[in-house]
Amino acid sequence: MHAEAALYEPPFPPEQPRRRSWLRRHARETAALVLLAVLLFPFFWMVQLALRPADDAFEPALLFMPTLDAFRALWQDQFARAFGNSLLTSTLSTALSLLIGVPAAYVLTRWRFRARRHVALWILCTRMAPPIAFTIPFFLALRWSGLLDTVWGLTLIYLTFNLAIVIWLMQSFFAAIPAALEEAAWMDGCGIWSAFWHVTLPLTLPGLVSTAVLCFIFSWSDFFFALILTRTQAITAPVAIVNFLQYDGWEWTKIAAAGTLVMLPVVAFTLLVRKYLVRGLTAGGVKD
Amino acid sequence: MASISLRHLRKHYAAQTVLHDLSLEIRNGEFVALVGPSGCGKSTLLRMVAGLEAVDEGEILLGTQRLNEVAPRERNIAMVFQNYALYPHMSVAENLGFALRLQGVRPAERKLRVDRVAHILNLQELLARRPAQLSGGQRQRVAMGRAIVREPQAFLFDEPLSNLDAKLRVQMRTEIKALHQRLGTTTLYVTHDQIEAMTMADRIVVLRDGRIEQVGTPLELYDRPRNAFVAGFIGAPAMNLLAARAHEGGRVLTDDGLQLPLPAGLRLAPGHAVWLGVRPEHLQVTSADQGLRAEVQVLEPTGAETQIAARLGGQNVIAVSRERIDLRPGSALSLRPLAHQLHVFDQASGARLN
Repeated sequence: MHAEAALYEPPFPPEQPRRRSWLRRHARETAALVLLAVLLFPFFWMVQLALRPADDAFEPALLFMPTLDAFRALWQDQFARAFGNSLLTSTLSTALSLLIGVPAAYVLTRWRFRARRHVALWILCTRMAPPIAFTIPFFLALRWSGLLDTVWGLTLIYLTFNLAIVIWLMQSFFAAIPAALEEAAWMDGCGIWSAFWHVTLPLTLPGLVSTAVLCFIFSWSDFFFALILTRTQAITAPVAIVNFLQYDGWEWTKIAAAGTLVMLPVVAFTLLVRKYLVRGLTAGGVKD
Repeated sequence: MASISLRHLRKHYAAQTVLHDLSLEIRNGEFVALVGPSGCGKSTLLRMVAGLEAVDEGEILLGTQRLNEVAPRERNIAMVFQNYALYPHMSVAENLGFALRLQGVRPAERKLRVDRVAHILNLQELLARRPAQLSGGQRQRVAMGRAIVREPQAFLFDEPLSNLDAKLRVQMRTEIKALHQRLGTTTLYVTHDQIEAMTMADRIVVLRDGRIEQVGTPLELYDRPRNAFVAGFIGAPAMNLLAARAHEGGRVLTDDGLQLPLPAGLRLAPGHAVWLGVRPEHLQVTSADQGLRAEVQVLEPTGAETQIAARLGGQNVIAVSRERIDLRPGSALSLRPLAHQLHVFDQASGARLN
């Protein structure tokens, strides 16, 4: 009976006046908002935790009196110094890796020497093994050179990773710049490096900015190497946060406040260069 | 301004030789066009003069200065690229003034010179724009302006018109020629379009496989091509080349049995295999009793003249007539080659015999 009824049913529901419900009309937006809420929940939870008084950190009440006590406590607790170390190592390693990596990438793109492919591939090898594989060599090397627990030591380690990123990303950006533009610059009176400076580099600026942001974020977010290669002097913010997990109790609001502070530069940076980031990461994908 | 001398130039890429012992003198103020099919080495030669390719053997002189070891930026030669190569991040004014900025010319004088060039090329309205906001012809003019503003010893053009549409190409052709007449700068112009070379150049150099086939004025090349290759390359529509053998009595017999006269004074051993060359405008349409019978295949009237593609014996020929001709494809017509305008080439070597 049912089968028979199904047979006589039209293959498509009969045409009805188009009066879709509000939910159906806004299905996409709603789904996006729900997803966003899920993704941002840990972030918001952390921020509200940072603003709560330490005594009722885990009170279920949604309403509370916001306070900056946790942030103030952080400043008295040497966290500022760790934060400064983080800024310093990330900025230094980003700047250095751009300074060394950008010309290297340019040479690897433009100069067709025999071992070019091999050199480029071996540069990438530093990113192929898990970080733990390098830990002991790095530790020994830094101890031997007296750079253990120094900002410069950590900067150097981040440099080794960031260089691979810079060289590989920038190679594709340089390859997208027609060689004729540089040749025109040579004819106009440029040498190789002034053509690079006046013509090639300005054209790869979006790529350069997005590369710099990536480098900064990688160094800034590193926990593993900072934990192993620093003790007290060069300790960075992510490691400092862990120190709030103490034997006699965990200082949740301080942890949340520190987490919020650590996120701030990354968020600010990304928002600032969002335009470049999108352009940079898609440039070179299509041939003009 | 200066002359350019190329002496015994050779260029290899790996095992392949691109230029074979090439020598050429370009006089001060002369406009020389390099033509040839793709891969003949004309762009390589130009890039060697520019300094963008190394010279393997031989030498290049600008005036009396040997250029081989001189960096491109110190050569004082300007080049216009096929794809214009304008700096996308600079305005038209900045593009024009870039070379002057590098030379350390003061901003006030720089502006003066940029304005002057913009005036010559009619770019005044566009100075603030970026290259992306320009049309093809405008970009072409900026590229030329960038070369002119430096007041260099010589200009190099690498197929500068090949990216433009047909109408603009004709217009720019005239502009470049007028510009050369005005500035009088020594110019080396590479093109694969023999019409461009014919219309613009003082002298044309025809290249094939890295060797010079012939150097001469456009009309020398047209009227007395030195070999069958130049004969076929210069002129549009191309010269008709008929395979034939020398015969008794100062005549030749084409492979399909047509008898044609040889130019006066040319004596060939009977049986000598030749190419008989006749330009389309020297193949006259006549009455049936005077010419050779041909079958019309396609008529292409352009208004001023009519191109007739016909079958003469077993070979395809093209004739051009100033008369209006009303014939249908498949119908018969009579063609008479002008005996004194015939070109005879040796079939084995391609060399001219008359």
